[in-house]
Amino acid sequence: MNSEIQIPGFILVGLIVLQLAVAIHIALVSITLGVGVLTAYYRTLAVTRSNAWAEVFARRVFRAMIVTELFSGVWGTIITVVLAGFFPTLVALATNVLFTPIAIAIAAIMVRIPSIAAFWYTWGRIEPRKHMMLGWVMAISGFGVPLGFRTIFAEITSPHAIAIYLGGSPIGAWTAFGSSLYWILLLHTVFAVLSIGGFVIASLEAFIGDVRGVRIGILVGVSFLLLQLLAGPLYWISLSRYAPLIYDVITFGSFLPVFALKILLILALIALSAGALITLMLKNIIPRSTPLLGPIALLIAFLGEIINDSSRYPYMVTLNREGLSPTLFANFYMDIPLPIVYIIVAFLVFTVGVYMLAFYYAIIKAYVGVVPEET
Amino acid sequence: MNESVSTWLYISALGIYFHAIFVSITLGFPLVIIALLIKYWKSRDPYYLSVTRKLTFVLFVNFALGAVTGTLVEFGLVQIWPGTIIAIASFALAPLALELIAFAGEIVFLVLFAVTLGRIFIGYSIAIILVYWVFALFSGMLITAVNSWLIAPWGTGDIPKIIYPFLPSYGPLSTDPATLVALKILLLASGSPLQAVIQQAGVSETIGIILNDPLVAFITPYSVPSILHNLVAAIIIGSMIVVAAYGYRYYKTGDQRYLNLIKVVFVPVLILILIQPTVIGHFMGTAVVNYNPVKFALMERATVTYNNPLIALLAYGDPSHPIIGFDEFRKQCDAKGGLTLGELAKALKLTKASLLDLASKLNVKVDEGRLDAVLNTRISDVCKRDLDRAYSKMNVISVTYYVKILAGIIAFLSTIILASIVYDVKALSNLVRRFISPDRRWVFILTSATLVGVVLSAILGWYVREVGRKPWTVYGLLYPEELISISHIAEQTLFQLIVVLVILVVGLGGIYAMYIVATREIRFLDLLMKGVGSKSRS
Repeated sequence: MNSEIQIPGFILVGLIVLQLAVAIHIALVSITLGVGVLTAYYRTLAVTRSNAWAEVFARRVFRAMIVTELFSGVWGTIITVVLAGFFPTLVALATNVLFTPIAIAIAAIMVRIPSIAAFWYTWGRIEPRKHMMLGWVMAISGFGVPLGFRTIFAEITSPHAIAIYLGGSPIGAWTAFGSSLYWILLLHTVFAVLSIGGFVIASLEAFIGDVRGVRIGILVGVSFLLLQLLAGPLYWISLSRYAPLIYDVITFGSFLPVFALKILLILALIALSAGALITLMLKNIIPRSTPLLGPIALLIAFLGEIINDSSRYPYMVTLNREGLSPTLFANFYMDIPLPIVYIIVAFLVFTVGVYMLAFYYAIIKAYVGVVPEET
Repeated sequence: MNESVSTWLYISALGIYFHAIFVSITLGFPLVIIALLIKYWKSRDPYYLSVTRKLTFVLFVNFALGAVTGTLVEFGLVQIWPGTIIAIASFALAPLALELIAFAGEIVFLVLFAVTLGRIFIGYSIAIILVYWVFALFSGMLITAVNSWLIAPWGTGDIPKIIYPFLPSYGPLSTDPATLVALKILLLASGSPLQAVIQQAGVSETIGIILNDPLVAFITPYSVPSILHNLVAAIIIGSMIVVAAYGYRYYKTGDQRYLNLIKVVFVPVLILILIQPTVIGHFMGTAVVNYNPVKFALMERATVTYNNPLIALLAYGDPSHPIIGFDEFRKQCDAKGGLTLGELAKALKLTKASLLDLASKLNVKVDEGRLDAVLNTRISDVCKRDLDRAYSKMNVISVTYYVKILAGIIAFLSTIILASIVYDVKALSNLVRRFISPDRRWVFILTSATLVGVVLSAILGWYVREVGRKPWTVYGLLYPEELISISHIAEQTLFQLIVVLVILVVGLGGIYAMYIVATREIRFLDLLMKGVGSKSRS
């Protein structure tokens, strides 16, 4: 870490709020992306193979989406406002150089969120095949969001399009997608969300006590976790080439303890899920530890995002072993009233509590029924 | 104005109008839901709970649509109009940051309401939806405050008046005039939009403080009536959609229960429709007169100054006050004489050398010859040129404004007549029933006429509000062409078409989804059996 760089207090507050928002957003979005795909898949099985259990299973797991999606969207909006408020220069630069990726992400959001609400509330009101198609629109559109927004993360880790632009060369609409690091990060993200979706479903199904549902959740979780065992190290090794500063901080520096904790949690997840799978297959009972799988997977994603973002401090954009200070992108147009920022953050933390209450009533207490109620 | 800027103004308007539809339902439905829940609480008739459930489903789908179109508008600002980022990071920051509280609060309490409705004590449900409504109104208030700042840039004091002498003073000066004027001159001299300047690393520190009072955009003489006017209009439209839907169902089925629903929910809507044009509309009108004089002249077709005692009484509180026209504005421009932008800059201690130095620090390419031309530009010429640009929209603004007034009158009268046939309003009901029979056909006609009237009034009113502030985006300060994206992709017709297509598909598809949720009965088990290859129950 370069201790010579002085970061003004308000910028530090901005970075902390931004990190908190990004980590919470990523964790929540991971639930919804993975669960969305599984729901669409089992809805399809229900329709095409006349599988009634798949129908009920799809409907049951999708309840988590209804409670979570809008709330995860809030944190996306928080990220945007924090970026525009604390780091307006970065937003002005990104909306120019990364115009196409950001447009793709916004279009995906436009389709994704209404399709989730429409998928839930038209269930049982429209023809199954049409509803099945709507499910795939809902599931696939979600992936447009990381497809677009992950370019921002890749660019601040190892500038590709921005480097070309600042070098004075013209940039094309798709230049940002030419970054190798971006594709590795995207792969890492996609495997992560699918794995988390599986483990979250396993946890929820464990509360219900459905052995078949738990087995499916764990199988999906473990399958993509195995793929993560390739994608994760690949991303880590790529950092040594594209962002050695971050690689060093994670591997040998101040973020080593957090990285080690993440590795330990991954090992624990592998052990618990393997154990659960064996028990399920041999004894056809759900092990007591199964509800822990989803929370552990989410904690890994949360920590992973913090490692990926905060390890660059005191820089905002890393360039090999150097970087650009957040001061260069920060808001000096006004003195940001920090007491207002603290009040907002405190309220947002409070809303996490209300969200968890709603989640508890909807899923654990099953206030949201699997069979739609007549009005 | 180049073609791309013009196209994006239309596309932005399309997105904002769709957002307005969903926001109206977001704000209007809770009023109806609360009325129905209170009725259910008192009567214990489960029918009212089942109707509330259905409305909640529609509200939920609508909220998702409102959230994404809000996201679209938000990203539209930072991506298509990135020049606004400097305003978002200063004048608009406090309202937008507090809007996060409102948005998060809306979502968690809406989800909590939807999840627990019918499962918990009904008083708690009413409390939860009330909290949701308060957050939704707070959100609308904050966004309208930001929009109002664009229309009356409070805190900029006499800066707009320096170039446009007919404009008023916009509150106490909370900004540094020299910095704003320097930036404006650099924009004119570079020929680039603002994004080319504000995307440069370190630019903010170089420019420094442009706003001293972070809360200046909150409560202003323009934002207060705007907030009331917009929020009440949205509540009226959202709740009238429900009333008109029940009016239609009553007409089609003759089921008395639909008339009972209208009776339950119509009282608060009636009160709002009566006070909107008579009280709130009046305050909004005087705010326009005071802070957007050019818009007022466009609305009243004041090519030249003239006298109209009725309009003058309403606008100025003085029937003998003339309606100020464009001739007077031009006269005031001419009064600036030969004063140039260079002389104005000099008065603010900005020299050509200091401007070139600033351009160099900001990494903005400025041609010296072009800078000279800008500095030699006469302020009176800028003033008159912008007046001409505004004047070119007189016909459309004026006609739109008066059609809006007509639509409002239709809604106002329809509401009174509807109330007199739905309720027993003594003498008024007796009078109306001499001409109109209180049958289901008239209920349908009057609810529809009210809905069409309030919707038309809102659509046209917003058009006048937005187009009436042109040629500026920030009134008297910044043009749309200074705020547009510098990305060449934004100029491509294909990209613009894709954006229009996405807005239409999501907007219209979303409305259709709400229609299905509102009108189709649940056949989950039938469809489940059909899906698994069994015959339908029926």
